[in-house]
Amino acid sequence: MKILLIEDEQALRESIITYFTEEGSICETAGDYPSAVAKINLYHYDCIVLDLTLPGGDGMEVLRRLKELHKNDGVLIISARHSLDDKLSGLNLGADDYLVKPFHLSELKARVMAIVRRKSFDGNNLIVFNEVSIDSLAMKARVGENILNLTRKEYDLLIYFIANQNKVITKSALAEHLWGDEMDLSDHFDFIYTHIKNLRKKLLEAGCTDYIKSMYGVGYKFGA
Amino acid sequence: MKLAQKYNRVNLYTSLLILLLSGAVYYFAIHYILTEKLDHDLKIEEEEIIAYAGKYNRLPLSSDYKDQIVSYQLLTKGASRERYYSHNLYYKSNNKGLEPGRSLITTLKIAGDIYRVSITKSSLEAEDLVRLIFLITFSIIIVLLLSLMVINRFLLNSLWRPFYEMLKQLKAFNVADNKEFSAQPTQIEEFQELNQSVLVMAKQARHDYKELKSFTDNASHEMMTPLAVINSKLDTLIQTETLSDKQGELIEDIYLAVSRLSRLNQSLLLLAKIENRLIEDEETIELGALIILKIRQFNELLQANGIEVILQLERKELYISKYLADILLNNLISNAIRHNVDQGKITIELNEEKLSICNTGSQDALDGVRAFERFYKDASSEGTGLGLAITRQICNLYNFKLSYLYISPQHIFRVEF
Repeated sequence: MKILLIEDEQALRESIITYFTEEGSICETAGDYPSAVAKINLYHYDCIVLDLTLPGGDGMEVLRRLKELHKNDGVLIISARHSLDDKLSGLNLGADDYLVKPFHLSELKARVMAIVRRKSFDGNNLIVFNEVSIDSLAMKARVGENILNLTRKEYDLLIYFIANQNKVITKSALAEHLWGDEMDLSDHFDFIYTHIKNLRKKLLEAGCTDYIKSMYGVGYKFGA
Repeated sequence: MKLAQKYNRVNLYTSLLILLLSGAVYYFAIHYILTEKLDHDLKIEEEEIIAYAGKYNRLPLSSDYKDQIVSYQLLTKGASRERYYSHNLYYKSNNKGLEPGRSLITTLKIAGDIYRVSITKSSLEAEDLVRLIFLITFSIIIVLLLSLMVINRFLLNSLWRPFYEMLKQLKAFNVADNKEFSAQPTQIEEFQELNQSVLVMAKQARHDYKELKSFTDNASHEMMTPLAVINSKLDTLIQTETLSDKQGELIEDIYLAVSRLSRLNQSLLLLAKIENRLIEDEETIELGALIILKIRQFNELLQANGIEVILQLERKELYISKYLADILLNNLISNAIRHNVDQGKITIELNEEKLSICNTGSQDALDGVRAFERFYKDASSEGTGLGLAITRQICNLYNFKLSYLYISPQHIFRVEF
């Protein structure tokens, strides 16, 4: 997976690169508007992670440029502006998703994966992790030949885990992903545990290896 | 008291006083002058009598003609001499009744006999004159006062019109909206100056407000990036293999603080946005359906706390921003959950006039006024303290009436459309 990260904040850039490259993705970066435009002119990316406020130009201009070039790269906007207008104009300009800062890296990863999956033309709707496979079009998950009977939340949870395989995911990231960030759930993480417990039980019953581990009370890790 | 009224009153009182005083002065002055003239005439008459007596050594005949009566009276020997003027009433010869008069009483000595001579002249004409003058003066006073009042009423009103126009606009002034002042053109320098100053002041106030707003806006935005950095660094930190559970707990606390800070920031930005009416994606929304959706979203939370939800929903369509409607319901419902008791109850009623959300909760009522203020939190609350302030701001935007009441054991938040 080839990703272009357009973000002027170096510290944030580093965190994102570390998080993505550990999984074997190629992650290029651009810290300002000119270098961003130069890169999109030259290369094709599976997904472009685009910050709207850039030195030397507006992130929206990068989107317009991309459209002019008739490029089909996936675009995920990350912005400190929690503004409906920005969101709408960004999406109208061809962005695939919009994520408001601050965000969890796991959420960013899951969204990028979703965009890449949607953009892939080879009809690859299959998400595979060892014996677990998910058909994202039919929204069906199975372990080997056994079909899993998951609720919507458990299904979302499983996809989120696989997108962030081998990473520690915090409870708050999970809660925000499943219930949206507008709901203030910070003091009610307990019921996330119920969903994870149920998912884990269903996976185990279908003969899956126990991939879900609780990590230092902070969160969970899905991986071998 | 209005300025015109106050001015009128002072004006009327002083004019009345001055006119009355001058009337009185006038009256006495004329009276004095006329009396002087009469006295002069009486004196001439007296001189004639004295001259006659000196020449013929006897008194002239008493006379009673035209408006003059001369009479004599022999006084006892040794009576003292006297001479004085007096006002009196006397009988005219034609017996037409009493008439006002002016008399000169004097004594005359003829051949050893002392006579009292009394010369009386009618002062009727003089009195008439005085009365006439008084009447004229009085009518002038009335006419003057009336015209003053009329002038004051109409002229003052039209003179002050630019002032009242400006006052009306000042009352309606709101730093947040962009309605320009329209100054009435006026010839009066003071008002021109006033209009000018108000225009400048309003412009300055709006400018400062805008500055402040964009400062808050920028500050909040700028804060998001460091928050994003903290969050991403924490996300990276927990990937470390060697963390202990204790460190994990610490990190979780940092996560919570960061998420609270970012939520606070977003709430502030949202508040500013609603205040500036920057949200304009209004559409017709069926509120009942949205409530059902919200309850479904909150389902896990409700179940975890064993809260029972009773819905009594009628169809109610609102023309409102979907985003804000969402936030409104989110805030009210999540409050009802957060401040509820275990195995509590939430009743949501919706009809044509109002939406009310009742929940069981603590035994103490909230402060119905302060609850909607920014950063008001009771001791048990863990939120940002902005939820209800945002809710109220949304209600204000759409002219809904938001109220709180406590009818034991229910806390009720009501939105009247």
